[in-house]
Amino acid sequence: MRQLAVSGLHKAFGPHAVLTGLDLDVPAGSFTAILGPSGSGKTTLLRLLAGFDQADAGTITIGQRVVDGPGCHVPPERRRIGYVPQEGGLFPHLTVAGNVGFGLPARQRRGARTDELLAAVGLAGLGGRYPHQLSGGQQQRVALARALAIEPEVVLLDEPFASLDAHMRASVRADVQQICRTAGTTAVLVTHDQDEALSMADRIAVLRDGKIVQYAAPQDVYMRPADPALARFVGDANLLDGKLADGAAVDTILGRLPLEPAAVRSAAGSASGNDLVTVLIRPEQLELVATGLTGDTASGCLPGQVVACEYYGHDAVVRVRPDGEGSGPDFIVRTSGGPQFPVSSHVQVRAHGPVVAWLH
Amino acid sequence: MNTVKTRPAPVPLTAVPARRVRRPAGLICVSAVIAALLAVPLAFLLIEAHRAGWSAVSSQIFRPLSGTLLWNTVRLTVVVTVACAILGTATAWLVERTDLPGRRIWAVLLVVPLAIPDFVVSFGWNSLFLWVHGFQGAVLVMTLAVYPLVYLPVAASLRTADPGQEEVARSLGVGRLATFVRITLGQAKGAILGGCLLVALVLLAEYGAFEMLSYQTFTTEIFTNFNQPSAVPTACALSLILVAISLLVLAGEGWLRGRGRVARSGPMAPRVMPPLRLGRSRIPALAGVLALVLAALGVPIYASVYWIFQGGVPAIGGVSMLDAAWHTALYGVCAAAVDTLLALPVALLAIRHTSAARHFLERTTYLVLAMPGVVIALALTYFTEQYLHSFGYQTAPLLVLCYVIMFFPLALVGVKAAIARAPASLDEVARSLGQRKLAAFSRVTLRLAAPGLIAAFCLVFLEVVTELTATLILVPTGVQTLATQFWSYQTNLSYAQAAPFALVMIGVAALPSIVLGRFFNRSPESLRTGL
Repeated sequence: MRQLAVSGLHKAFGPHAVLTGLDLDVPAGSFTAILGPSGSGKTTLLRLLAGFDQADAGTITIGQRVVDGPGCHVPPERRRIGYVPQEGGLFPHLTVAGNVGFGLPARQRRGARTDELLAAVGLAGLGGRYPHQLSGGQQQRVALARALAIEPEVVLLDEPFASLDAHMRASVRADVQQICRTAGTTAVLVTHDQDEALSMADRIAVLRDGKIVQYAAPQDVYMRPADPALARFVGDANLLDGKLADGAAVDTILGRLPLEPAAVRSAAGSASGNDLVTVLIRPEQLELVATGLTGDTASGCLPGQVVACEYYGHDAVVRVRPDGEGSGPDFIVRTSGGPQFPVSSHVQVRAHGPVVAWLH
Repeated sequence: MNTVKTRPAPVPLTAVPARRVRRPAGLICVSAVIAALLAVPLAFLLIEAHRAGWSAVSSQIFRPLSGTLLWNTVRLTVVVTVACAILGTATAWLVERTDLPGRRIWAVLLVVPLAIPDFVVSFGWNSLFLWVHGFQGAVLVMTLAVYPLVYLPVAASLRTADPGQEEVARSLGVGRLATFVRITLGQAKGAILGGCLLVALVLLAEYGAFEMLSYQTFTTEIFTNFNQPSAVPTACALSLILVAISLLVLAGEGWLRGRGRVARSGPMAPRVMPPLRLGRSRIPALAGVLALVLAALGVPIYASVYWIFQGGVPAIGGVSMLDAAWHTALYGVCAAAVDTLLALPVALLAIRHTSAARHFLERTTYLVLAMPGVVIALALTYFTEQYLHSFGYQTAPLLVLCYVIMFFPLALVGVKAAIARAPASLDEVARSLGQRKLAAFSRVTLRLAAPGLIAAFCLVFLEVVTELTATLILVPTGVQTLATQFWSYQTNLSYAQAAPFALVMIGVAALPSIVLGRFFNRSPESLRTGL
């Protein structure tokens, strides 16, 4: 059952078109991330969903109710959308309990419901504090409790973790995800952080130029992106030229690699009958082999030289420049053996399939 | 209310989205009506000048007296403004950045002269020291009376300026004095200019103090001409020149301010700079501040007390005092309430909506700033005489209307600062939680803005209590306010009768000024961006 449906949504600010025919269906009880670079229209979409702005064309349906469509605009206070803004947006003049109870009818504001919600977000007993006495993560959780208090149809989270410290972000993310699941709420998270989207969401909708370019499970968005540009946006990507060998493999400078089932996609404007493709190889699909004293190249390997190495502890990202003039761009390799490959050492790169490819 | 004890959590400026798509038609209409109301005096002035005949007006403009008045007005304005800039900045720096003993007390005592009407400072000096008159007297009295207009914003800006910038400058090998000149003064530049602008406008509009010191400026001359019915062209001509000078001052300030904007990388630094050690300069600095406070605060208060004791107890007229205080408070409360209310839609439009509306409103406000009280009062008088057969002339509503127009820009500064403390995004959150527009506004924006609204109210009230010029022209027949009663006793040289009124005005005005000081201490942005 879908809880939130958007179809053909258009929005422009003066001559500047922000959303150009956006479609999206969010199933009930799911946790969906809308992922897009800054300027892609994320905030605009969110403001339309919440009802702060009105769409130029298209419809928005929450539950069974059309809230934005031709000749119809339901104001925000009658949409039952739980909105969690960036930085929490707590009311500075109210206590934590006052914030959580803000949307409740007057006689319920001081009562069991508020305590219950505070307990649900792990802040029992902090009702008397003021927002400035809380840490950033606590403020986010109060904002979430405040949104959940009105038993919303959908919770909208607007980049809620961007202002938190890196070490706190992970735990607050997990908490928020857990709270939403326990409450059984449909949640829509807007973010530009791909790690956040990949780690939290059931489904990711990638927003680009005012449209959803891909809407799929996180592993599909990562392993089978819709086009090369998307491959670069979500995670690091090595994009090579290749040639289709037969239906199930592709020839590249790294040798013949197996293709994912049904993984050849046609990019826009492709001419049929052409077998030249762009191949995506993720950094962790590449392996580094130390070049022996003899300098021989093993079969299926490409010789090169390490030009940079970023060491992360659990692994390392090594940049390898292939030997020979014009043999293509540097490879990005994620390896657990970083220290073995110091800068300027000679290595060989080997790939592991299966891969995806797009017809030219 | 908890707003005093607990500081609101810092709200990032990014939370206020600048773009709004739907035109707030209601707000624009209301604001346009208010803007039209503000433009009324200038329109009347032009109509009146037209009626009197432009040739008559221009012959009045180009007569020798105008040259004398121009020279008197300009030299006084320049000298006092520079003196206030130096005095205000120096004292603000001493209080905010050095280990001057008793800094907390000085911070209050240096602001209080703002509460003392200029003509009371003038009275204090002039009645005690006969040599205080003419140009030198005017420079001395006005500097002492208005330097807090520079002190307040500069102190606020120094208090919140990013100390990191000074540290960076020192680390780049720039010496202490050079850092002060290149960084500290640079940070305070906007505040200094804003203060100087206010000083210059006050000087152009001042009547009482100059009349007492027998120093002739455009304003005193307009006032003198006002009572002669044949002198309409003269009054119009002088008013037009005065408005033109004020506009020049406003334009000059805008030009000097230039592109300099206070940019801050990262959030507000809560860090406090360790105060600079004055060392051996401590004693002279202390003596200087003490002398200033004695001159600006001590002399007027001492003079009032002195004259009361000279006159003996019967001099204190109980009934007339109560009556005058009641009327002053009544007019003050009415004007302050109306102004705060009118400033609310305009401030909402300016802070939360399109920049086009904002520019238009700012221009209109500037027009009012350039209209000294005497000119506004005169324009209203001529209008009632001409078109209403003097109906409404010298009645309470017209006087209050005059105050409302005069002090609208002031109220707007405070209300804008107040609204800026309540980001629009919080209203949106409230609406998403099921609150209707009006409920969201009153439960969030109004609550957050309340301290600033009170400050704006106090600011206008304070100005009404100490206003003399327009009040003398428009005060209802048979009614005296504190200022006019003081003035009539003073004019008759009945210093003993005048002195109690001076003391009461100081007392009544001091309280709002302390409230104001506290508010602007907490939100210095308002003074920097307010005008």
